[in-house]
Amino acid sequence: MSIERKDEHDHDAWMEERDLTALESIYLSVLIWFDKRLRIVDYLELLEDLYYKVNMQMPKSHTEQYNLDNKFWYWYPLYALGSFSTIAYVVAAISGALLGFYYAPAAAAADGTPSVAYESILFIMGDLNLGLFLRSLHRWSAQIMVAAVFLHMLRVYFTGAYKEPRELNWIIGIVLISLTMVFGYSGYLLPWSQLSFWAGQIGVEMSLSIPLIGEYVAQLLFGGFTPGQATLVRMYILHVFLLPFVVTTLIAIHIGIVWMQGIAEPH
Amino acid sequence: MTGDTTDGQTESATDSDPGDVATDGGDEAAADGAGIVPPDGETPTWSERKQRSQGLSRLTYEYFERSRREDQDLRQQSSYVERDVLAFPTWPHETVRNLALMSFFVGMILLLSALVPPHLPGPADSGSTPAVILPDWYLYWSFGLLKLGPLNPDLSLLGGQKLMADRTYGVLANLVVVGAVAVVPFLNKGSARRPVEQPFWAGVGVMGVVFAFTIAVLSVKNLVSMDSHLLFDLAFLAPIVCGIIAYSVLRAMREGYMFDLNRRYYRLRPPK
Ligand code: HEM
Repeated sequence: MSIERKDEHDHDAWMEERDLTALESIYLSVLIWFDKRLRIVDYLELLEDLYYKVNMQMPKSHTEQYNLDNKFWYWYPLYALGSFSTIAYVVAAISGALLGFYYAPAAAAADGTPSVAYESILFIMGDLNLGLFLRSLHRWSAQIMVAAVFLHMLRVYFTGAYKEPRELNWIIGIVLISLTMVFGYSGYLLPWSQLSFWAGQIGVEMSLSIPLIGEYVAQLLFGGFTPGQATLVRMYILHVFLLPFVVTTLIAIHIGIVWMQGIAEPH
Repeated sequence: MTGDTTDGQTESATDSDPGDVATDGGDEAAADGAGIVPPDGETPTWSERKQRSQGLSRLTYEYFERSRREDQDLRQQSSYVERDVLAFPTWPHETVRNLALMSFFVGMILLLSALVPPHLPGPADSGSTPAVILPDWYLYWSFGLLKLGPLNPDLSLLGGQKLMADRTYGVLANLVVVGAVAVVPFLNKGSARRPVEQPFWAGVGVMGVVFAFTIAVLSVKNLVSMDSHLLFDLAFLAPIVCGIIAYSVLRAMREGYMFDLNRRYYRLRPPK
């Protein structure tokens, strides 16, 4: 018995007889290589199955059926606001990851001397190549995302798109817009500038004013009753770790539901 | 795919000619593009699964079986070609158009951030309170709600004492606003979609938007050159006035508009 393993199904001969172009045979070789090891055909089948099942849910659009499209195309940009929110989120995520290479949430004093965090922002804006643009991009995409989300919500409201069967997506949307604002707020504190500090102060006071559990909330979110180093690190973890996971997941679910249900049409 | 095609599988895979290979071993792959084909008949149906299980999972399958049948009935009753859901397909119609608009949008973000760089205030100093403390603009509305102190009812029962601190009241106001937005789908039901079909809810919406704006202005009142009491009153009156105006205008438009809609749409497809 030979030690050399045989290709039982003789894929080579099969490919030979097909008379493929170079591109096709490279593609097929790679596919076969992976499929032998990972049996990806099963997963592809699964996906395809899913695709068809999802598509079975999809209706013949009555916009097409009754030719209403010509009557509402000028509203169309409003229907892209959800996608705008998504893409602005993606841009903010990429520029934020790049900013993260240079930023350090450290040594937050509040005595008017620049902290390490503040210095790193100064470095990004002043010395880093393209740093000013990077920070600008991150800030603008974040602001634009909030604006787009808000307008998206108005679009959904005024076209009545939240009605059955889309209530769940409306609720998820509320959570998303709230988290988007928390995202913005926690990011606002990171440079540890004057405004960051005093915005933190307002946040602490808001938490403290919650009846009964106020002090625990302030401890948990801000790490104390005046903004300081603990606050900065907590906001940092919130901003670059917790929120990205939660918000990305929720956006995926939100858009998945839109995919399954289709876009509500104005009629 | 039926059972008897599996017999021919090994045969056809080996001796078919290269031009026309049956890679899936079958000859009835429905690739005529006539519609959507459920992938295969080998997956057990809900009824089959139901038979094999008990308890809660049986109950689940019983429901699935039933809802399949309901779908089927709906399809048969309808003069519609496909299933009876009112929606515009996300893929590809919506997605492709959105991708085109999105690329333009990203370009605008890049341009804007190149032209308008950000600004950085001085380092944190707890010793000197800045004249203007503000969050980002999109939190102004929430900031404004924190300043609702004058509306906090003082109960004469408690001898003019306030039921809760002004701060608590402000935080509560935030929760109330978010909660009110969240319950909208459970209050406004029915098949109306356009503002003209539901002037009341459109009026409520306009009121909400204007209020979000006026309360935001209220939050920066020390930057607005206007008597602060007048501003406070305006912040609540303006939304109501705008809401009523929107309501009346839409009410007045409704008849003519609905006539058009009925002609174009509802006659073909009566609302529930
Ligand atoms: C991070 C924030 C959000 C993202 C990324 C997002 C994304 C999207 C996208 C891409 C769509 C497809 C249709 C369209 O683009 O208009 C959509 C639809 C929808 N969104 Fe959002 N959305 C967000 C926030 C919200 C908010 C705040 C609400 C409402 C409170 C909401 C409620 C809905 C509903 C009900 C639909 C279905 C509308 C329809 O079928 O016509 N979403 N969302």
